[in-house]
Amino acid sequence: MNKDDRERIIAPEHTLRADKYPLEDYSAIGRRGVRRKDGYEKATGYAVYTTDVQLPGQLMLRILTCPYPHARIKSMDTSKAAALPGVRALLRYDDPELPERADVSGHFGGGTEGHEPVLNRVGYWQGMPMAVAVAADTEDIANEALGLVEIDWEERPFNLDQEEALKPGAPLSNPESFPDGNFVIPAQQREAKVVWGNPDEGFKEADRIIEWRMRKDKENWVGPERPNGLFRWNGEYPEVWLKHQRPHLSKRQIARFFKIPVSQVTVHCLYQGGTFGGWSQMALNMQPNMIAGILSKRTGKPVKWQFTRREDFCGAGMDNARYQVKVGFKNDGVITAVAATSCFARKGFAHLGHFVENTRVHHLLQESNGAVLNIMPGSAFRCEQNMNALCLGAVLNRVAEALEMDPTEVALKNDGVEGRPMADLADLKRAHGFGGDRDSLKECIEVGKKAIEWGGKWHLPGTKRLPNGKLHGMGFTFTHEWSDSSGSGALGMRIERDDGSARILAQRCDNGCAAETAYCQIAADELGFRYEDVHYRQFEEAGFTTMTPDSSTNLTVNGYAIRNAARQLRQKILEIATTPRIPERPDMGYYPPFPDYKPEDLDIKDGVVYVKKDPSKRMTMAELVRPAFFMGKMDIGSTEPLFAWGWQNQQGAFMGTPGPRPIFVRQAHFVEVEVDPETGDIEVTKVVNANDVGKAVNPEGVEGQQYGGSVMGISRARAEDTIYCPATGVVLNGNLIDYKINTMLDCGPIDTIIIETGMGYGPYGSVGIGEDVATVLPSAYYAAVHNAIGAWVDMPTTPDRVLKALGRL
Amino acid sequence: MPPICPYCSTTFDAVDKLKTHIIAEHGAEPLPRPEGLIDLMVNGERYELQVEPNVTLYTVIHDRLGLTGVKMFCDRGACGSCTVIMNGRPVLSCMTLAIECDSATIETAEGIAAAKHPLIETYVKHHCMQCGYCTPGFVVTAKALLDRNPNPTEEEIREALSGNLCRCGTYPQHPKAVAEAAKLLQGGEGGTR
Ligand code: FES
Ligand code: FES
Repeated sequence: MNKDDRERIIAPEHTLRADKYPLEDYSAIGRRGVRRKDGYEKATGYAVYTTDVQLPGQLMLRILTCPYPHARIKSMDTSKAAALPGVRALLRYDDPELPERADVSGHFGGGTEGHEPVLNRVGYWQGMPMAVAVAADTEDIANEALGLVEIDWEERPFNLDQEEALKPGAPLSNPESFPDGNFVIPAQQREAKVVWGNPDEGFKEADRIIEWRMRKDKENWVGPERPNGLFRWNGEYPEVWLKHQRPHLSKRQIARFFKIPVSQVTVHCLYQGGTFGGWSQMALNMQPNMIAGILSKRTGKPVKWQFTRREDFCGAGMDNARYQVKVGFKNDGVITAVAATSCFARKGFAHLGHFVENTRVHHLLQESNGAVLNIMPGSAFRCEQNMNALCLGAVLNRVAEALEMDPTEVALKNDGVEGRPMADLADLKRAHGFGGDRDSLKECIEVGKKAIEWGGKWHLPGTKRLPNGKLHGMGFTFTHEWSDSSGSGALGMRIERDDGSARILAQRCDNGCAAETAYCQIAADELGFRYEDVHYRQFEEAGFTTMTPDSSTNLTVNGYAIRNAARQLRQKILEIATTPRIPERPDMGYYPPFPDYKPEDLDIKDGVVYVKKDPSKRMTMAELVRPAFFMGKMDIGSTEPLFAWGWQNQQGAFMGTPGPRPIFVRQAHFVEVEVDPETGDIEVTKVVNANDVGKAVNPEGVEGQQYGGSVMGISRARAEDTIYCPATGVVLNGNLIDYKINTMLDCGPIDTIIIETGMGYGPYGSVGIGEDVATVLPSAYYAAVHNAIGAWVDMPTTPDRVLKALGRL
Repeated sequence: MPPICPYCSTTFDAVDKLKTHIIAEHGAEPLPRPEGLIDLMVNGERYELQVEPNVTLYTVIHDRLGLTGVKMFCDRGACGSCTVIMNGRPVLSCMTLAIECDSATIETAEGIAAAKHPLIETYVKHHCMQCGYCTPGFVVTAKALLDRNPNPTEEEIREALSGNLCRCGTYPQHPKAVAEAAKLLQGGEGGTR
């Protein structure tokens, strides 16, 4: 490990600059067509997910869910349920073993104790798991037992709408935890009001000011593998299978909860059927695991739990917010000030952050008023930047509309970082170790416009009807790439004795981005191996804490950890190649394989160690590490075990962290739609994603996140909305028939364009890609619909909203 | 008590004689088949299974036979991730009662892989999987399509796979993989059916 690697690891502030040590030549990195490491397993069904795990004698756990939006249990009789044959254990809210409150949330599991009662006597939203849990021989028996629980409920008044909930006299949504009122501020923020610059001055500078209201309704994450887990108390210690993006944190939580050393907890983390943040970040997501643990301990049997799809639909949603936005701008399109107030359902997130990170707009006022409601709690999934991306896209496109300008021009006029225009930033780019000469946004816009034929197709809003009678629209938005946030990754790497192949040992951190494949590509190039000879085999136990995307970070942290490990391992290989193996027994052939050379005289390429000056002197890795001789029947290793470990501690990029860590890489998206004015139906006929990912380590993986994110983004923007019955507070569309997500027929062709300016902070200049397209694309779609019909339609743009906007309903 | 024929009440001095009599005279199985016993041919292997009437085919294949290629996503016939080929047709195993599947021939993704169907490698090549949870369901649906239509157009492929949901949004890749597999099958390269 060189000094720079070392500094990067131990001094997080050093991660505020570009990777200084990219490779000169890339072979596996960036190559197309490498065979996905997880491909065969996943295509054939052999890939194992937590839901697939069954243990002999396992019991099935079911937890009661609240049938009302807000209700307290006056009394509960569980005697009939407990007596049902096949019921092995039952846990009630008043069980003496339950702590009054405990940390049962996943995302902030490393933080405060005392969040919630494990089994609450009060339900705060319909579908909240609460009050009583049953472990039985089968799921059917457990369900039947829950049906036998007799409960006398006290229904309480409830709130479903944030604006109503914040009015004086509104009932309290959660008097136990929020006795003073329903008001809350967003997650990750300390104040409701945040000011940058001087907004009053900014508005004074403006030639024009516009104001509007908009909203985004609540969508669900719809992870294909439903929340589930399996807990086996092995006498002294627990063994847990978790579907979770932060298994290492959950492991600590489990240890704290059961008051045992962390090293006594075994946590298995397998493939994850689409998590997208979602479930892992829900308020109560460790609750079923803790209950399963208690009941496993009591019964001596493994206890498995799994939510139904409907229960999952009631668990968490996102983005339920209304906005009041005011923008001041010059006649040339330069924005002078933005003031935006959000009113969101807990827990909301920042909404003007992308102006700070991503524009020259100096004067900003962000006010956030949130409300605790009696609906599923808000959660972050792919990703919490939704509100930021929506506000940036909406402002940009509204200004363009007001000035009758092309929105791509407005974007270029306002591109910048931390309130400074991009043109001023060449020095800053250089100071952070980047070349300083490339303009990421300009490049993204140029290639994107060409691909969608923007020049010939874009028009002023509401001005183009196609021969088929439909209204044609073109939309655009931009923002920065997610330059990752904080986290740390640790992993090991070893060389197998028999054939000299390399194996990465790390906790499975798969989220579908082909990340493990990308890690093997990095390891191959850094070691000098062939890609085929490097394997990622999960070190199943959550001990090495590779970053999963829960903190929006995967490659940009783990990629460095891989590289650090590979570089050390490579050095070790060269050392053993030039060192006598057992100096005192040269007679037994333990001379160094390259006796007359020093490590620096050698190199490794395609898994062959050779002398740089005389490549005919060569030895394959397999020859180098082969067993040296046989003693009896036993192979005796002729080298020390070739193992190295690496880690990376990453400083975050998001607001509020010491920095600045200005982000120079951009993404631009283009959407073309046709709107049927008779039915309100919207067809997406083309999407173009132009992403400057800095460096694409696995190009197909990057493209997967582009088109995959586009599909999800369009789906959210056009159709997805969790609907509550206003009278009963019950979710009306908690299943995949009534809550529609996009199918193969719902989106036209998607062009994915990768731009590589090398201006990311990740290894080789890379940035993340997994979260952003699904998050940013809705704004481009939103603008395209406006461009088609000449009116703004809130998302999801359901046909009734479109028809209303057209004045037909 | 001597064995008595349940059909005609003739008595016999040995059980074997009774069995021969029932087969010969009454054309019936000598032992009544217990209720809930089904025969399944899964991926070429024969299974005799006792099932409760309310158990789904999904549960039998996944939980009892241990074939994890059937995946439960929507839980309600809306997503296709639990698809198997039954007697040549794709069916949703979560919506099918196992007891109604007696004598059925069933193929899952594991069986399709074991038969070296080219779809598996074309799926890997075209990155048709992200989280991979929905992938075997797509493979099975695609195999059923190629069985009945060896040379589908892109439109036909999209139509055939439109009942399979993928939250990761891998949709654009599937038609490429299916078309390539179709070509391989026709050219005789890349494996057999
Ligand atoms: S799980 Fe069977 S169709 Fe969705
Ligand atoms: S690959 Fe994740 S749901 Fe399809």
